Amino acid sequence: MKPKLLLFVLIAAACWSCNDQCKETRVVRRFTTVTHSLMELRTKVKAESPRALDQPGKMYVKGKYLFVNEIKKGIHIIDNSNPSSPKFVSFVTIPGNGDIAVRDNVLYADSFSDLVALDISNPASPKEIDRVKNVFKSGLFDGGSWNLNESVGAINDQNVEWVTETVDVNCEENLNPGWWGGGIMWMIADRASFSGAAKSASPQSAGGSNGQAGSMARFALHQNFLYTVGQSTLHLFNITTPSKPVDFATVNVGWGIETIFPYKNKLFIGSSTGMFIYDNTNPAEPKQLANFQHGRACDPVVVEGDIAYVTLRTGTACAGTQNQLDLVDISNPSSPQLIKSYQMENPHGLSIDFPTLYLCEGEKGLKVFDVADKFAVDKHQLAHFKDIDAYDVISLGETLLLIGKDGFYQYDASNPRDLKLLSKIPVGKAI
Amino acid sequence: MLLIATSANAQKLPTSKYVNHTEFGGLFGRVKYSNSYNGNQEQVDNRLSMTIQTFNGMQVHRRLTVGATVGVDWYKAALLNPVAAGLRYDLTKRGNVKLFATADAGYAFAWFHDDAEGLDTKGGLMINPGFGLKIGKPGAVAVTLGLSYKRQEAQVEKVPLWDQRERSEDRVYNRLALRLGFSF
Repeated sequence: MKPKLLLFVLIAAACWSCNDQCKETRVVRRFTTVTHSLMELRTKVKAESPRALDQPGKMYVKGKYLFVNEIKKGIHIIDNSNPSSPKFVSFVTIPGNGDIAVRDNVLYADSFSDLVALDISNPASPKEIDRVKNVFKSGLFDGGSWNLNESVGAINDQNVEWVTETVDVNCEENLNPGWWGGGIMWMIADRASFSGAAKSASPQSAGGSNGQAGSMARFALHQNFLYTVGQSTLHLFNITTPSKPVDFATVNVGWGIETIFPYKNKLFIGSSTGMFIYDNTNPAEPKQLANFQHGRACDPVVVEGDIAYVTLRTGTACAGTQNQLDLVDISNPSSPQLIKSYQMENPHGLSIDFPTLYLCEGEKGLKVFDVADKFAVDKHQLAHFKDIDAYDVISLGETLLLIGKDGFYQYDASNPRDLKLLSKIPVGKAI
Repeated sequence: MLLIATSANAQKLPTSKYVNHTEFGGLFGRVKYSNSYNGNQEQVDNRLSMTIQTFNGMQVHRRLTVGATVGVDWYKAALLNPVAAGLRYDLTKRGNVKLFATADAGYAFAWFHDDAEGLDTKGGLMINPGFGLKIGKPGAVAVTLGLSYKRQEAQVEKVPLWDQRERSEDRVYNRLALRLGFSF
């Protein structure tokens, strides 16, 4: 018996120090601070040969061309005359670029603190023709903020990179420490969101031919003005001569401004706390009509007729506790009234081609609704495409442009119930 | 080969060739981790989980029984059901107290685990070798005391926090299993 007992004790001793090994692997955002000289940045705008999509940002459509922002780096110009086979034409390097607007042959783009005007009459080699300096004071890219230091002529910028880290955890659920949320979240609400636009609800106006931006755009064109929204201000540029944008006026709006959507004589400004409606009858002097407040969340807005469609979502980049689509009656723009709220899963961008509403649900795919009956939108879901990771969508009537996590898709939307894939540009691969 | 061996030893086998060995006990372990609530200081905790399992097999040799083991393990954050191939081997011949070797290897499923929102727990490979004492007269119900090492893997997908894009956890439960059971 004794050897057996000895063996028992030996095994016990060997195992007594057994440790659970639990490693959590996370891909985490890391910030590094860098300082760019404005003098140097201003020499860097130039046309280059086409390159692959890497981190696509907002999108803009003008005629047969697509303009896809590469976050903070520049703009891809894509010839989309045949939606079944879009072709990269060129890449314009614009440091600190996030937004795009096009009037006639002039493309307006932000480059950190400056507004740059480019002549795109030859899309293969756009040229810088004008620049309004030091108009934007600060901004956000992918959660990293930058601000202008005018006294020394520099941009203090944060680079964002994603790093994989592995830490030992205690093999339990590890729910979020509560204080991590809140405060910081709203700052990174303006991520690499694509802008959606709608044919019928597109911000068209008299005076020159504009392209189409959409629910997440920060730039908008109306008559002789280019409107841009910063985090708290609305900035107007006079573009009576498109090639010569002039700094015109600044209007203080509020806090956490995210998007601007011009519709008829109104400006719909989405902020992280609500929706502002501005009367734009006199384009030189927008006046606030109303402030429709809701919970704090990401909230692209599109408008059609007397109804504004507002999505609220929670998620990693947005604070808030709602995932819903709100229909808001704006027949009296001074006093917007809620028509009905519909529960959604994780709504991102949206686009309306009345009566069809395209709504991106992130990883949950793309939903298509018939919104003709405003009190029963949820009962008229036409289709739900689940195998798409949809960020944002643009409806051009027959064609539907959609950005997913892995690339950019174009669909034949002549039958909204049955979208047919025309082409796909995967991230990281040039055509 | 097995059949030949079995028939060769047939005359020495007890009348019943079917063997059930059911055990319950605890899985004893420790965990060392950096506590994010406390400035990421390292902290060491004890871990003890309940385990039950039942082995059902056939005696293929005087000393050897092979079969399948199914069980339930209540880990702190996972309820796992191992399904394994198992064997029991008597190391000593005589006496009312026998030393035996035990080994189970298989895969644990999280069938009955109810995830908290945003979590997705999956099971993983399991091995469980060890020794035990069987106390009781031959042919009758015996009481067993088992001491073994158990290694259980598991995987958890989690919702990323605000500054994260992906988050997942690979778990390896390294435990000392101390079990009391019966065998017939």
